[in-house]
Amino acid sequence: MNRLQKAAWINLIAVTICVAFAGLCFAFLAKRNARGLDFILICFVVGSLGATAFYFLYHKRSPEARFDEREKMIYSRAFTLSAGITMVFLAGICIVPFYILGGQNLMHVYYLPVIFLTTLFTAQFTHSVAILIQCELEGENGR
Amino acid sequence: MGDNNLSNRIRRFRFEHGEMTQQELADKAGVTRQTIIAIEGGKYAPSLPLAFRIARAFNATVEDVFQYRDADSDE
Repeated sequence: MNRLQKAAWINLIAVTICVAFAGLCFAFLAKRNARGLDFILICFVVGSLGATAFYFLYHKRSPEARFDEREKMIYSRAFTLSAGITMVFLAGICIVPFYILGGQNLMHVYYLPVIFLTTLFTAQFTHSVAILIQCELEGENGR
Repeated sequence: MGDNNLSNRIRRFRFEHGEMTQQELADKAGVTRQTIIAIEGGKYAPSLPLAFRIARAFNATVEDVFQYRDADSDE
């Protein structure tokens, strides 16, 4: 497994854990109907913990984040693909309820973080998977 | 990613230089072994600076290591 594949796996695992954790936090906040100062304080604590986790995860591995030209190209193509899929996903997730519910109907506010988290997860997931697939397709031969 | 018109003699040069491994060549050229594998297999066309670095690792010129053939050329 090369550096790019390792980085993709780390990204995939970290994003899955963070999104799951953030989802639980939002579910908790939605259940308590937290808002205003109450909500901001909880967000601050959760955000600080998340930022610290990301810092240690990525800062420690920064020397491995240096890719050569072929890896940069794979990374760039994965990013383009991920951006395209995310835009389609975001358009779908925003437009489909409009068609189902109609323009004059109402939705619960807790759907907004769900849309945000699923979009974030889709972007990171497709990016990492696109990298892993490209690396796998090239395969290894010779010694 | 690759270029069908571009061929190379990296494998031959490696064996002519004391059976140099792909990892040793990768270290000299400043890339990963996977990149050398991709170039050697014709799956990836290297940039000009990388082609020079690979050629220098063999004390050869770029044209010794890489050959380009025009699509409409009979040669």
